[in-house]
Amino acid sequence: MISVKNLSHSYSNDEKLAVNNISFEVTKGETFGFLGPSGAGKSTTQGILTGLLKQQRGEVIVAGYNTMKVQNERFNKIGVSFEQSNVYSKLTAKENLEFYAKLFDVPTRDPEELIRLVGLEGKEKVRAGEFSKGMKHRLTFARSMINNPELWFLDEPTTGLDPTIAATIKDIIKEQAAQGTTTFLTTHNMYIADELCDRVAFIIDGVIKLIDTPRNLKLQYGQKLIDIEYINNGKVIKETLKTIDDHDRKRIGEIVNNYDIQTMHSKEATLEEIFIQVTGRGLV
Amino acid sequence: MKLLSSYIKEMKIAARGYYFYIEIFFAILLLIILLVAVKENPISKETEFLFYDMPAEMVDAYYSASIAKGDVKAVDDTILEAKAVSFDVTDENTKEVTSYAFGDESYQFKTFEMINTKTGQLTETVYIADSEEAMIHMSYLEKKIGATMSLDANGGILYKYFTQGFETTRLKNLLYILHNESGAALKMTMDNQSVRKLGTIETLNARENMVPVFIVFMGSLMGFFIVMAYIFLDKSEGVIRAFAVTPSSVWKYLLSKTLVIMTTVAISSSVITIPVMGIQPNYLLFYLLLLISTFSFASLGLLIASFFDSISKAFGALYTIMIILMLPAFSYFLPSFDPLWLRFFPTYPLLQSFKEIIMVNTDVGYVLANSGIFLAGGLIVFLLANLRFKKTLTV
Repeated sequence: MISVKNLSHSYSNDEKLAVNNISFEVTKGETFGFLGPSGAGKSTTQGILTGLLKQQRGEVIVAGYNTMKVQNERFNKIGVSFEQSNVYSKLTAKENLEFYAKLFDVPTRDPEELIRLVGLEGKEKVRAGEFSKGMKHRLTFARSMINNPELWFLDEPTTGLDPTIAATIKDIIKEQAAQGTTTFLTTHNMYIADELCDRVAFIIDGVIKLIDTPRNLKLQYGQKLIDIEYINNGKVIKETLKTIDDHDRKRIGEIVNNYDIQTMHSKEATLEEIFIQVTGRGLV
Repeated sequence: MKLLSSYIKEMKIAARGYYFYIEIFFAILLLIILLVAVKENPISKETEFLFYDMPAEMVDAYYSASIAKGDVKAVDDTILEAKAVSFDVTDENTKEVTSYAFGDESYQFKTFEMINTKTGQLTETVYIADSEEAMIHMSYLEKKIGATMSLDANGGILYKYFTQGFETTRLKNLLYILHNESGAALKMTMDNQSVRKLGTIETLNARENMVPVFIVFMGSLMGFFIVMAYIFLDKSEGVIRAFAVTPSSVWKYLLSKTLVIMTTVAISSSVITIPVMGIQPNYLLFYLLLLISTFSFASLGLLIASFFDSISKAFGALYTIMIILMLPAFSYFLPSFDPLWLRFFPTYPLLQSFKEIIMVNTDVGYVLANSGIFLAGGLIVFLLANLRFKKTLTV
C-alpha cells in the first residue's frame, strides 16, 4: 500500500536533510507505526506521503499512485487525521463533515454516524468554534474516515484526549484495521504504538534506525525483569532483578527463601525503553 | 458540484463572520453620506474681506445700485473678534516684505450678501472693513482672500489683493487680468465669445460623481483586503491543509473564496448605486465590469496572501498596495493632477470606466475594452495564486 525507496528531503534545499535516505514498505491491511521524538522527520515523511510536501528525492508509491505526479483522485482512497485539529470553527460539526463528504468522488459515510462514533452525539448542530480542544480533535479524526479510506494516515490520534475517549479512538482504529484498512500511525507515544501497530519504525534525525514488530523488538532487545518487595529488619526493600542473569536468579532464590515477600511482579521492557536502548535518545 | 459546495460553505462562513457585515454596513453608511451630506449641485459660499480706500459716498452708491438690481442684500453690521497675531506680507512683484503685529481686536464690518439672481441663493458674504489693517487682520485669521480698492489719478479703480499663498498660479493670473478691462468691456467680450458642446453629453452632478469612487474602492480595495482576511482565517485554522488532502483542486477552493467576495461586492455596490443612480446606468455593463474587476483584485489578494502566514506579517504589502490603488482618486477629483504614470495604475481606468457606465452617453467600447483587460489580468494573477498555494501547503 505504501512503498518508499531512498526518500530524502531538505527544507533548505541543501544537504541539511530532515529526512535522510529512508526506505520502507507498508503492506495492505497493516497498521504501521512511525515512531520518533519531535523533529525526527515523522511529519516530514507523512507530509510527502500525503502530498502536502513536494517530493524532492527518492521514489514513493502511495495507494498505487506515484507521489511525484499530481493526481488528486488518489485522495479518494486516503484519509488524513492531523495532529493539530483543523476544522471550520464557524460551521457546525455536521456541516463540517457534510462539506468534506461532498469533496470526494466515492461513497461517503453518514456524518451523524461518524459524530456518534467519536462520542460527539448531541453536538451535531454546535459550531466547532465552541468545541474544546479534545472535541475538535475528535471531529478531525471523524472527518478522516468520511470517505472510507483504504489508507489512513493518523498523526498523534490520541494526543490531548482523556483516557476514556482515547480508548474509544483506539477501539475505532482496531475496528478499522480488522476491516482491512491500512494505517500509517505517526506518534511519539510508544504505548499506543505497542497496542495498535503490527510493525513499527524508529526514526531519529531523519534516519530509520530499525523496523520490526513490537514483539520481535521486545524479544530481541527486552530483558525480563522481576520487581520484588520484601521485609528485612522491619523495613520494606525493593529490588529489580533480571531473569536472564545468573547472579540475579540466585538473588531471587535467596529473597524468596529468607524474607517475607510483600509483592513480586514480572515486567517486560517497554518500546520506549527499547527505543532509548537502540537510538540512545528519549522520545520527548 | 465541488465548486458549488465550496461556495455554499464559504457563504455560510462569511454570513457567520464580521467581514461580510462590515462591507454591507459600509455600503449603507456611504449611501447615507451620499444622500444626506453630498448635495446634487452644491453651491460654494464665499467670504471676502474688503477695504475701500475711497470716499464713502462712492461705496454707498455702488452698493445701493447693486441692492436696487437685487443681487446684493444689506444685512446688519457684523462684529468679529480677532486674536493677537504677527505675520509678514510679501509683495509678489517687488518682493517687498511688510511686517504686521496685531493685538486682540474687535472689528465692526458693514456686511452685504451677494445673491444669485437666478436661484435666489446666497453665494457670497462681503465684509467691508473700516481700515486696511482690519481687513488684513481678518483675512489672515479666516484664511480668506482680502482686497483693497482705491482710486488712481484718472478715477479708475485700483485693486490690491491679499492672498493666502496657497492659491494656484491660475487663480493668481486671473486676479492679475480680471480688472484690465472695464466691467462693461469684459461683459461685451464674453458675449462675443461662442462656446458650443459637441454631442449631447450630460455631466454628472456632484453626488453621482462620487459613485464611481465608492464602487471602485468597495470592490477593489475591500475585495482585495477581505479575501486576504478570509485566507488568513483559514490558515490560522489549518483548514487549507485539510482541503489539500481531498480530491478537490486548490483552484476550486480559491475560486470559491473569490466568488464570495464577488457576491458581497455585488450586494454592497448595488446598495450604493441603485438608490443614487436609479435606472440611468447601463446595469449589464455595470455588473460585468464590477464582477470582473472584483475577481481581478480578489485574485491579487490571494496572490499576496500566499506569501505570508498571517495578516500582521502581510500588513506592509497590504498597506502599500491599498495606497497605490487609491492614488488615481486624486486625479479623479482634481483633473489638473493627471500625470501619465498615474494612468497605468489599475484603478485609474476602472474609475473612468465606471464613470462612463453611469453617464447617459456610455462609451461601451471603452468599458468593454477595459473589462477584457481586467479579465485577462485577473486570470493571470489567479493562475499565479493557484501555483503559489500549491507550493506553500506545508506540513
